[in-house]
Amino acid sequence: MSKKLYFCLTIFAAFAFLSSCKKSDDETVETPKPLFYIPDGFPAPSGQLQNNPVTTAGFALGRKLFYDPVLSKDSTIHCGSCHQQFGAFAQVDHKVSHGINNLLGTRNSPTLINLAWHSEFFWDGGSNHIEVQPIGPITNPVEMDETLNGVIAKLNRSTFYPSMFRSAYGSDTITSQGILRALSQFMSCLISANSKYDQVRNGQATFTATEDSGYTIFKSKCESCHKEPLLTDLTYRNNGLDAHFADPGRARITTLAADSGKFKVPTLRNIVLSYPYMHDGRLSSLSKVIDHYRSSIVQSSTIDPLLSSGNMTISDAEKAQLIAFLNTLTDQTFITDKRFSAQ
Amino acid sequence: MKKIFSLSILAFASMFFISSCKNDDDTTTPATTTYASGEVTLEFDNIAGTTHLDVTGGTNYTNSSGETFTVTKFKYYVSNVSMIKEDGSVYNVPDQVFLIDESDSNSVAAVLENIPGGKYKGVEYTIGIDSARNVSGAQQGALDPANGMFWDWNAGYIFLKIEGTSPAAGMGGDFMYHIGGYKNSNNTNAQRRVHIDFDPSTLIVDGTKREAEVHILVDVLEFFKNPTNYSIATNGMIMSPGAAAMTLADNYVDMFSLDHIHNDVY
Repeated sequence: MSKKLYFCLTIFAAFAFLSSCKKSDDETVETPKPLFYIPDGFPAPSGQLQNNPVTTAGFALGRKLFYDPVLSKDSTIHCGSCHQQFGAFAQVDHKVSHGINNLLGTRNSPTLINLAWHSEFFWDGGSNHIEVQPIGPITNPVEMDETLNGVIAKLNRSTFYPSMFRSAYGSDTITSQGILRALSQFMSCLISANSKYDQVRNGQATFTATEDSGYTIFKSKCESCHKEPLLTDLTYRNNGLDAHFADPGRARITTLAADSGKFKVPTLRNIVLSYPYMHDGRLSSLSKVIDHYRSSIVQSSTIDPLLSSGNMTISDAEKAQLIAFLNTLTDQTFITDKRFSAQ
Repeated sequence: MKKIFSLSILAFASMFFISSCKNDDDTTTPATTTYASGEVTLEFDNIAGTTHLDVTGGTNYTNSSGETFTVTKFKYYVSNVSMIKEDGSVYNVPDQVFLIDESDSNSVAAVLENIPGGKYKGVEYTIGIDSARNVSGAQQGALDPANGMFWDWNAGYIFLKIEGTSPAAGMGGDFMYHIGGYKNSNNTNAQRRVHIDFDPSTLIVDGTKREAEVHILVDVLEFFKNPTNYSIATNGMIMSPGAAAMTLADNYVDMFSLDHIHNDVY
């Protein structure tokens, strides 16, 4: 009898111990976000992950590939060379992307932020799916200048990729689809939604008076293109940089003259970090970007209707307020998340 | 006598009845019930005029503009195949896409699987890849982007690729025609439907009892003519969707013609 009671007490104690452990976990450890999630207030994602659900192993393989210079012809550069985490996955302080052998591209490396909400990629939207997008930089002669078959051959010679492919897809066989889907899993998880701006939206923080004034200016002068909460409306627009277009932009894809000089509206998330600005990196600071909109808009046949009436009226004080607001778009969690870093 | 006469009339009438019945049977029994489903092979015999196409670059050909040229690459997609039955109804072959590549002897035939048994009078197929398959991300098999038939900068499949050399091609001496484009906007859809009539014969599909092989001639000289005479000197490089590609897409339809059918009982 006493033995039975003792046993019961032990069980009870064990339960109490377990439940108290769990409770203290809840209280002290912040649950990490899942690899892929839809932040509060965000619209539905593009749906391009439909046939490629994110898994821990797939994400890990994608990250390995993203940071592996084996993807380039001479094994000197990797995706992270032009997409640096501390620069919100753009290439900081480089007007245009730098490829192998110091070759220069023609366009500024874009940030990689919330890409699961995009269905077209590149400045001109030429890529129609997140899975095939990496073929661009891998095979471009002035970027990584490699072939998909070349990458597959190199990965097959590695000691660890076959087993990483097995973990991700259940087979050692390395295919272009496996490579591209892993990269798209990694890129899709680069979610930035914890800036001060987001915290204010979620009621967890408040803007300073200056930031709040900047937000008001943003809403009246910027938000029609840099639509909340992605801070891009994902369209292609001519924002008045040139009268003649050295780079045809969107027209390169559509062959429509009406699309000449139009480029994809970039997100303003982490914009302070991702300088320089514009498709060719011609503007080195946010100050110069705002100066462009208030004093240098060039009219042309394809100018965006929202800019066809000319320069915006923005005072120096308003400019400072706007820049204060743009600083609230920086997401330290995003640029320091170890899961997104080379391992 | 009268009885015999009436009996013979009855016999005659019944014979007529029986034979007319039989006659009915002949015409109404559906052929498909007696034939088993099976494979149909479309064999693409790539030629230049009257000779087999040499893709090593070692043979000179002359196009309709009088330009000499050699061919070093000839690849194209065949997809959305439909078999046309004798009665005009259509069987759409599901899901199969074929990359025909003259440089690879394993890639010059399209083996159509599980074609319902019966008699067919023709076949139709698309040169190119439909819109849905162009926007479906990273695919495998014939559609693997590693096959070199995919544009990365303006995503979508190259439907037909012909490369070679020609004195007319300008300084480099190389010409490259990469024809594709799946979007309907601004008239850049280069998908073209090809119809091959088996007339006057038919192709009987009957499981493994008969071979069912359709030999189709594919003449690269026709790429440069009909409906438009195309000159390499005018434009030796087409590597994007657009108006120039559309001219050559129109030309590639009549590259294809029936050569012969193998349909013997094994």
